[in-house]
Amino acid sequence: MTDVTKPALASPRAFVSEDVIQVFYRLLAALVICVVLSLLSGSFLHLANILNVLRQASLMFFIASGLTLVVLTAGLDLSVGANVAISACLAGTVIHQTGSPTLGVLTGLVAGGVIGLLNGVMVTALRIPSFIATYGMLWVLNGLTYWYMAGGIVHGFPPGFRQIGSGYLFGLPTPVYLLGAFLAIGTIFAQRTVWGQQIYAIGANPVAARLSGIPVTRRLIMVYVVSGIMAGLASIIFLARLNSAEADIGESLTLPAIAAVLIGGTSLFGGVGTMFGTFVGALILTLVLNGMNLLQVNANWQPLVTGVIVVLAVWLDMKMRRRT
Amino acid sequence: MSLALPVDEAAQVSAAAPPLFELRGISKEFPGVKALDDVSFAVWPGEVHMLLGENGAGKSSLMKVLCGAYRADAGEFFYKGEKVAIHSSADAQRLGIAVIFQEFSLVPFLDIAQNIFLGREPAGFIPGSVDRRKLLADAKRVLDMIGFDIDPTVTVDKLGVAQQQMVEIAKAISQNARILVMDEPTAALSDHETELLFALIKRLKAEGVAIIYISHRMAEVFSMGDRITVLRDGRRIGELRPGEASPDQLVRMIVGRSVDMSYPRNFAATPGKVLLEVKGLSASTGIADIDLVVREGEIVGLCGLVGSGRSEVVRAIFGADKIMSGEIVFDGRAISGGPDEAARRGLALIPESRKSEGLALLRSVGDNLVVSALARLFPAGLFDPRRAQRVADGLVQQLRIATPTTKQAVGLLSGGNQQKVVIGKWLAAGAKLFIFDEPTRGIDVGAKSEIFALIDRLVTKGAAALMISSEQAEICHVCDRAYVMREGRIVGELSRSELTEENIVRLGMHHE
Amino acid sequence: MSDATVALSIRSLGRIPGVAVMLALLLVIFSAVAPGFLSAANIANVLVQSTILMMLSLPMTLIIMTEGLDLSMGAVLTLTSLVVAIVSLATGSMLLGLAAAVLVGAAFGTVNGWLVAVLGIPPFVATLGTLGIAQGLSLIVSDGQSVVGIPRSVSEVYSATLAGVPMPIVLALLCYLVFHGLLYHTRFGTYVFALGGNREALKYAGRSPTRLLIAVYALGGATVGVAGLMMTARMNSGHPTAGLGLEFDAIAAVAVGGTSFERGNGWLPGTVLGVIAVGILRNGLNLMALPSSIQVASVGFLVIFALFVDGLRGRS
Repeated sequence: MTDVTKPALASPRAFVSEDVIQVFYRLLAALVICVVLSLLSGSFLHLANILNVLRQASLMFFIASGLTLVVLTAGLDLSVGANVAISACLAGTVIHQTGSPTLGVLTGLVAGGVIGLLNGVMVTALRIPSFIATYGMLWVLNGLTYWYMAGGIVHGFPPGFRQIGSGYLFGLPTPVYLLGAFLAIGTIFAQRTVWGQQIYAIGANPVAARLSGIPVTRRLIMVYVVSGIMAGLASIIFLARLNSAEADIGESLTLPAIAAVLIGGTSLFGGVGTMFGTFVGALILTLVLNGMNLLQVNANWQPLVTGVIVVLAVWLDMKMRRRT
Repeated sequence: MSLALPVDEAAQVSAAAPPLFELRGISKEFPGVKALDDVSFAVWPGEVHMLLGENGAGKSSLMKVLCGAYRADAGEFFYKGEKVAIHSSADAQRLGIAVIFQEFSLVPFLDIAQNIFLGREPAGFIPGSVDRRKLLADAKRVLDMIGFDIDPTVTVDKLGVAQQQMVEIAKAISQNARILVMDEPTAALSDHETELLFALIKRLKAEGVAIIYISHRMAEVFSMGDRITVLRDGRRIGELRPGEASPDQLVRMIVGRSVDMSYPRNFAATPGKVLLEVKGLSASTGIADIDLVVREGEIVGLCGLVGSGRSEVVRAIFGADKIMSGEIVFDGRAISGGPDEAARRGLALIPESRKSEGLALLRSVGDNLVVSALARLFPAGLFDPRRAQRVADGLVQQLRIATPTTKQAVGLLSGGNQQKVVIGKWLAAGAKLFIFDEPTRGIDVGAKSEIFALIDRLVTKGAAALMISSEQAEICHVCDRAYVMREGRIVGELSRSELTEENIVRLGMHHE
Repeated sequence: MSDATVALSIRSLGRIPGVAVMLALLLVIFSAVAPGFLSAANIANVLVQSTILMMLSLPMTLIIMTEGLDLSMGAVLTLTSLVVAIVSLATGSMLLGLAAAVLVGAAFGTVNGWLVAVLGIPPFVATLGTLGIAQGLSLIVSDGQSVVGIPRSVSEVYSATLAGVPMPIVLALLCYLVFHGLLYHTRFGTYVFALGGNREALKYAGRSPTRLLIAVYALGGATVGVAGLMMTARMNSGHPTAGLGLEFDAIAAVAVGGTSFERGNGWLPGTVLGVIAVGILRNGLNLMALPSSIQVASVGFLVIFALFVDGLRGRS
C-alpha cells in the first residue's frame, strides 16, 4: 500500500520536545495539589512540613532514579528496594568493622553495582524477561539479607558520616542537596551523554537501535549496573539518615519508587521519560500521602491510593501516547 | 460435509455449465495506487486455475477481495451464475471460499483436531464442553478425505510447515470449501512433500473443488494448471491453457510493459576499487554459497522473487543474522560480528520495513538522524544537543526532508520522507556502503525519483550501493550490475548490457 | 503409524522429564539431608500445606498461558480470607462467608481482566495496581487487626476429613478436576490456548478475545476467593497481611511446572508437580532449620532457573 505525501502535522508538539511538555503538565498537577492541600489543611504550608515533604520525595527519588533508566529501555527493576536493603546492611557492617566510612560507601556502591550486573546478565544473556528476573532477584536478595542480618540490626555510625542523611547545610536538609546532585547527574547521563541517547533509542525501538549500530546488549547491561549503583548510593543515604540498617528497610521502598517513575511520565514501553519527571512523580505521590496524613486519613488507605494512582497514571500515559 | 460425485476431468470445462465462481470488472483502489483494475476471472469446479504475476501485480489484493478481507470498489461476484456479495469473511465462508495464506492461522499448542474445528467444536453433554470423541472422529474423517495420514491428537507446533499447510487445507475442507485459494503452497516444501500436495490437489479436483493457485514456478504452472491467468499492474493481461503458450511467452506477458520512468543515472566509465567482497556465505536463515562483489561507484542490484533469500543475504552481510560459514571482506579487512561493528566500519542498512526496523517512530526527526552517528560525532561521550541539531538541520536541508521542524515525531512524516531520514542517518554516520532493501516500497512516484537521484549522488562521490528491489524496471534502470537469487542461492550475474527485465524474471523463476 | 508420528511421540517425551526430574531430585536430596523428611506424617503435612498454593497456581497457569500475569493474587487472597472471617462472624454462616469471598475475588478478577483486555494496560501494571487496592482494602477492613472468634464451621473446613483424606486435599483435588476439565474438555479451555498462542485465530473463528480474557481473570479471582476460605480455616482467623507474596510462589510453581510465559503453552499436571516441588523445597529447608529467609531466596533461585531453562527450551 503506498502512501501519498502527507502534509506533516504542525502542532506545539513539533516545536518543543514532547518530554518537556509532559513534565510541565505534571508540575502543574503538583502545583494544583499543593494549592488544594494548603486550602484543606492549615499545617501544610509550615516550613517543617514542606521540608519533610521534600526530604521524603528526595528519598523516594534516589531509589527511583536508577529505576528510571531501566524503564527507559522498556525494562523493569523490581529488586531496587531489596538492593538498597542489602547494600545498606553490608555497608553498615563494614563501617562498624573497619571504622572507615569511606570503605562503607565503597561497599554500598560495589554491592549495588554487582547486583545490577547480575540483573543485566539475566536479562540479556539469559534472555529472562526483566520483570521476572528482577522479581526473582528481589526475593533472593531479601532472603540473603534476612539470613545475613539474622534478625539483628547494625546502628550507630560516626557523626561525620551521618551528616549525609540528617545534617543541615544552610538551613536545608542535606538530602535536598543530594537530590540536586542526583538530578543533575541523572539528567546529564540521560540527556547529555552518548550512552543516554542510545538508551532512549533502545527503549523507543530495540530492533531499529540494533540495526542502527548501537551495541544493545552492552548498553542494557550498563543500564542495570548504573541502576544498581544508584541504589547502592541511595542505601548510603538511608544508612546515614536512619543511623541504622536492618533487613526489612527495603520492603516498602520498591512500590513507591515504581509509582514515582510511572507517575512521572516514564513509559513502560520505553523511550519516553525524564529524570526530572520521575522527581515530579515522587513529589506528587509524596504530596498526596502527606496530605492524607495531615487530613488524618487512616494510614491503611495509603497502599490503595498508591495503587490507584499508578493505574491511573499509566492509563493516562497510554492515552497520551496514542495521540502522537 | 458432502462428497460431490467425481467429475470427469475432460468434461469439466464445458462452456455450457456456468462457472462455479466468477468475478466481473473488480476494481480496488488505495490512495495512490490501483491494486485491481477491472479484473474479470472465473473458475469452474474441479479445475486448477493458475494465477501469475509479479510482486505487486494484484494477486494478493485479489485474494483478499475473494476472502472478504478487502471490499471491492467496483465489480460484481457471481456464484453459480447468481449475483452475490462479499462484504466480510463470513460471506466468503458461506460461499465456500477458503484462502490458505502463507502465514497460518493455527494455534500452536492445540492439536490438529482442535485447530481444524476452532470455534466450531462439537458440543458435549454438559453445556460448554467439547465432545472429544466426535471431534477426533470428525477430524480423522476430514484428514482421510485429503489423504493426510496423521494422528489428530498431535499438537500443531510439532508439525513441519508442509504438515501445517495440510492442516490448514483440512480446516478449509471441513468448512465445505468449494473454492480453495492457495498462495505459493510449494514455496516451503521439499520435493517429496510437493508430490503429496499435488496428489491431494488431484483428489480435491476429482471432488469438484476449484483451486486458485498462485505460483511463480513455471514447472508446476504447466504441469498442474488447467488454465492460467496473468495479472500485471492490477489488470488481467490474458488467460490461456498450458498448451497454448511457452514459458517464454508467459514471462513476456508477466513482465512486458512500456517502461516510462526517468531515473537519471551517471554510470561510471571504469569501476572503482572493490569495497565489499563476500565469499561462500551461508547462514541458518537459508542462504548458501553466496559470492558477490561491490565496487566503489557502483549500484549493484540483488534480484529474485520474494522468499529467494535476498533480505537474508544483506542481513548476514550487515551482521544482523549469524553466519554459518563464509567470509566478508570490507575495504580490505575481514569483518565479523554484529551490526554495531558493521556500522562502525562503514556499512549501512536501510531495511525493508523502515517503520519497524529503521526508525523509532515516536522519536523526533532530529533524534533519528543522529542515532547512528553518535559515537562518531561525539567521541568523548558527551552529547551536545546543539551540535546534533545543526547536523540534523543540515541533513534535512541537504535531503530536502519535508518536516516543519526537526522536533517533529518521525512517525508523522510521509513514507518518502521517512526513507530519507533513514538514509540521512547513515550519511551522518559516514557510511561507505549503503545496503538498500526495497528502498522505494510504499513511496509515491515523485519521492521515488528523488531517492534514486540521491543514491546516484552518493555513489558518484565514491560510495557504493547494494540494492534489493522487486521492481525489475528500477533495477534495470539504475544498477550497474545485478545478481539474481533463487531459493537461497545466487543463480546468475547480469552485466549492464544483459540487464533486462526478462532476463531477471527468467533467471528468478525457472525451476529446474 | 507413519515414521513422522513415531518421531513425534519420541519428541513429546522430551517435554515431561523437566519438572519430574526436579521433583525427584528434590525428594532425593532432602531425604538424605533433612531429618524426618520421608516420614508419612511429613509428606502428608507437605501436601496439606500446599493446597492453598495449589488453588492459586491453577488459575495462574491459565492466566500465564494467555501471556498474562496476576500479581494481585496474594493480596486478594488476604482480602478474601478477611471477608470470610468478617462475614462468617457476622452471619454465623460459613457458606455465606464463602459466597462473599468468591464474589469479592471474582470482582477483583473482573477488574483485572477489564484493565488488561479493554484498556490494554500491561497485565503487570494492572495487577500491581489491584494488588495495592486489595492490600489497602485488607488493612482498612480489618483496621490492621486480626479477626478472631469466627464460627467453628469455618475452621472445620480445614480440619475435617472425608473418608480419611484431609478436607484440604479433597478440595484441592476437586479444584484440580474442575480446572483440568475446563482446560482440556471445554470450548473455553480450547480458547485459552488460542488467547496465548494465536489470538488472531480466535477472531477469525468468530470469538471475542476480550470477553474470554476477562473471564480467565475473573475465574482466577473467584478461585482465590475459595482459597481465602481455606486460609481463614487454617489460621482460624482473618489476618490483614497473611497471604501477601504468595502469588510469587504460584508463579514459581507454574514456571517450574513447564508452562511457558509465551506462545500459549500450558501444562496443568506440571503445575501440580511444581506446587509440590515448591512445597517440598520449603518443607525440606524448614526441617533443616534453615531460616525462612533462605527458603525465600531458594524459591527465587528456583524461578530464575526454571525461566532460564524455559528460555533455552523455547529456543531449541
